[in-house]
Amino acid sequence: MPKKYHIHPKAAPLGLDYVCKFKIVRGENCINCGKCTKVCIYEAHKRRKDDARRMADPNTVVCRNCFRCIQECPRGALEKSLDKDYAAIGGEYWKPDMMLSLWKQAEDGKVPVSGAGYRGPFSGTGFDSMWTDMSEIVRPTRDGIHGREYISTSVDLGRKLNHLAFDADGRLASTVPNIVDIPIPILFDMPAEELSPNVREALVRAAAEIKTCVIMPAAGITPDLEGYRDSIIPFLAPAEIDAHKDALKKARLVAIEYSDSVRKDLPGLTGKLKRISAAPVIIRVPAVENVEDIVARLVQDGAEIVHIAADYRGRGINGSVGADGCTLKDIIRAVHLRLVEDRIRDDITIIASGGIAMAEYVPKAMLCGADLTAVDMPLLIAVGARLYEEPDKLLIFPEGLGKIPVSLLAQRMVNLMGAWHSQILEMMGAMGIREARRLRGESGRAIFFEEIDRDTFGNIFKKRKAASA
Amino acid sequence: MKPSTVKIEKTPSRFKHQVPKYKVTRSDACINCGTCVGTCPYGVHERVEGHNRAKPPVDYKCIGFECRSKDFCCVDKCPRQALSLSLNPMYATLGDFRWTADMITGTWIMAETGYPPQRTDLEYNVGNSGGGFDKLRFRFMAHPPRVDKSEISTEIPLNRRNDGRANIVIATPVYGAGMSFGSVSLPTMVSKARNATIWNTFTCTGEGGYPEMLQPYDDHVITQIATGLFGVREETVQRVKIIEFKYAQGAKPGLGGHLLGEKVTESVAKMREAVMGTSLFSPFPFHSVYSIEDHKKHIDWVKEMNPNALVSVKVSTPSDVDMVAVGSYYAGAHIIHIDGGYGGTGAAPDIAKKNIAMPIEYAITKVHNFLKEEGVRGYMTLIASGGIRTAHDVAKAICLGADGAVIGTAELVALECVRCGNCESGRGCARGIASTDSELSDLFGEDWATQRLTNMYHAWNVQLVEILQRFGMKSVRELVGRTDLLEHIDYSN
Repeated sequence: MPKKYHIHPKAAPLGLDYVCKFKIVRGENCINCGKCTKVCIYEAHKRRKDDARRMADPNTVVCRNCFRCIQECPRGALEKSLDKDYAAIGGEYWKPDMMLSLWKQAEDGKVPVSGAGYRGPFSGTGFDSMWTDMSEIVRPTRDGIHGREYISTSVDLGRKLNHLAFDADGRLASTVPNIVDIPIPILFDMPAEELSPNVREALVRAAAEIKTCVIMPAAGITPDLEGYRDSIIPFLAPAEIDAHKDALKKARLVAIEYSDSVRKDLPGLTGKLKRISAAPVIIRVPAVENVEDIVARLVQDGAEIVHIAADYRGRGINGSVGADGCTLKDIIRAVHLRLVEDRIRDDITIIASGGIAMAEYVPKAMLCGADLTAVDMPLLIAVGARLYEEPDKLLIFPEGLGKIPVSLLAQRMVNLMGAWHSQILEMMGAMGIREARRLRGESGRAIFFEEIDRDTFGNIFKKRKAASA
Repeated sequence: MKPSTVKIEKTPSRFKHQVPKYKVTRSDACINCGTCVGTCPYGVHERVEGHNRAKPPVDYKCIGFECRSKDFCCVDKCPRQALSLSLNPMYATLGDFRWTADMITGTWIMAETGYPPQRTDLEYNVGNSGGGFDKLRFRFMAHPPRVDKSEISTEIPLNRRNDGRANIVIATPVYGAGMSFGSVSLPTMVSKARNATIWNTFTCTGEGGYPEMLQPYDDHVITQIATGLFGVREETVQRVKIIEFKYAQGAKPGLGGHLLGEKVTESVAKMREAVMGTSLFSPFPFHSVYSIEDHKKHIDWVKEMNPNALVSVKVSTPSDVDMVAVGSYYAGAHIIHIDGGYGGTGAAPDIAKKNIAMPIEYAITKVHNFLKEEGVRGYMTLIASGGIRTAHDVAKAICLGADGAVIGTAELVALECVRCGNCESGRGCARGIASTDSELSDLFGEDWATQRLTNMYHAWNVQLVEILQRFGMKSVRELVGRTDLLEHIDYSN
């Protein structure tokens, strides 16, 4: 049995500005009776330090929305509303609640647990339009989270052989490709945004700590990152290969950008790369329309790993946004099924990225057919970034972030990944799967909204009017 | 027992204010003439005897914009136009997609008055989740056969196996969900049991022992045997009329249960035969059950121990839930209780609540149809739970194929839960419903809570009878599986 993989969370408060969900305002008709202090079990209401006869402003950071102060104030003097800053963050895909949850996970590294049932919409788009299955009575689950059974989240990156060939003397005749094994099905994808040096270094350090890798432009690998070569995947255009020979030599994995020259002569390009380094090569393909054709062709040409990159909201690139089949979920399924049909799926590794926003999207992407995922935005949200979708994508970093020590920032990213890892274990445990490699394309353990809604309500009510979400 | 004989009593909120939907603002133009005080029949405006100025408006009593059409509306009556009416921003902080603020408010009114609210500005029958029950509507007939309300029965039998065991009939097709001592307070538990007795239906202990204070209500208590076997003893199994095997819970399917150490107080620990302050885990699954045959062995075992009791099997909703249901029939169960993914909980990982296992709407149809195909539907009682929030949800679940429903969150909302979701941590529920903290669990008395629950059950029964009347039916049993009486707003028949 492999050594147990564990991510070590440590409380890492950022201490910078904080977005609260609610705002409570004490009205002028407050009579300073102190009833709110008595009824609030979270200590949101206190008397003023400088003048104990008067009540201080409510501390909404600790408010848990129990409404007791609101309902028990003898004068009805307290008013609560949704905080404007809170309501403005995110957008349709990156919901404000999602960001609160990511911040919290980055802070403590714990699986978010709460009381009462689910409160969100019935289903949504993309990964929110599927549920994962669980096992009951006739199929055993796996107890991963409490550690009684080991659930492995390791995945392999590289080209795989369908079979081994031996010569007449029984010696191995096949060349076994180089395969890289990482213990969590998540790579870091260095976002294109301008990052302060400490955030950039934290990304690399956090990747190293959890034993994954960060994909970053080869040109950005500065000398200070020398110690982390094992955790960096240099990413470059085919034309840049000669300029970055040194970086390629030291890398465990290499990523190149899909382009015309890749399409025309992948074997030639691979040959050139292999003469520099034995590292498996990732080809990063934007999730354009009919990306499955591109991927199938790449596999035929001998590609080892293909990275399909959707946009930051998990949508296809230049696709007809809003139409069917353009979310990352559908894109991965299309690619996977195409490769299965062509009987070449087992040859390669597929990485999916773009819009991987919450822990559940990782196993869901894998059930759809990816071998692993790459994340970007959540790592920045972990260090306090706020993401806005409207009118255009905008990232706002907290003021003073540049002065926060790298170790704290890295710890927050480690925490987030630790929380995600635990949550992935929960889902795998419920599915009864104890090998992340087995999640790939295991659609029998997924329940897709379109299918089950059609099978249930479609049977009863016949025709669906429109493909509404 | 007939629902019409249940005693309804006005049982107001235990708090001074409720969460207001509207905001009534009085500007400086007010001349303290007192017209508003005289005109508002709802008590929004008050003036203390002998005072010149009226008190600030009591927003939550206001019925909103529909009042503008009445001739007593304060806004229109004010001689100085000093009053204005708007939506209260506070209302947006109450509720969520599944339990909207209107639904919570509506449930509170039912628990207070015993009847569905008469207000037209509250959409309390459907939520805003955009799927499942929230997209289903009834297809009422224009001219249903005339049925008098007094002829309509909401009774359902729970034992359909004709196996010589107790023939239990409940007066309303709803019973209370399992909530363990520890996850909820003793007054909550006891009032649930008292209400179940009044309504001649059931409540369930959950997994966490059988508090002595429930003994007077033994005939209306389901004792649960769950994977941790906390508090399960031979005498508790022998004491009741229904025993429930809990295989899984909809909110955390495949994950087992956990009660955080903070909530394992001295009394909880004693009841569960555990150590105070330690987190308690119910594993998943039963480590002695990996097949239907093992499952049968369990059922045989309790049947042997209690020769008269019925056996219920509570499972969550994986894609093979239909097989599990049929297996439960062959294993000898009387009730198959399916708990959908969107059900309530005292504590569960958010990731599980949102993502694991299917919503109950699909599972009911699946199980009902498969039991029918296998020719055993008539011998099993199919109970649905996990996201049943209103009387309309109950009726829709029955139309989809269930015989009845189990409700948990709705009962807690009747006790003024706001679904803040902090049941799991620290001292537990700030509102005293789901807490065993010595101070917090004392926030309300059993009499108040019992009456609130009784009122809500009554309001639901009134609604259910109304629905049956509009379908021209005399019994809720006629409604089972009548999907032709439903429509889905995304589909055209």
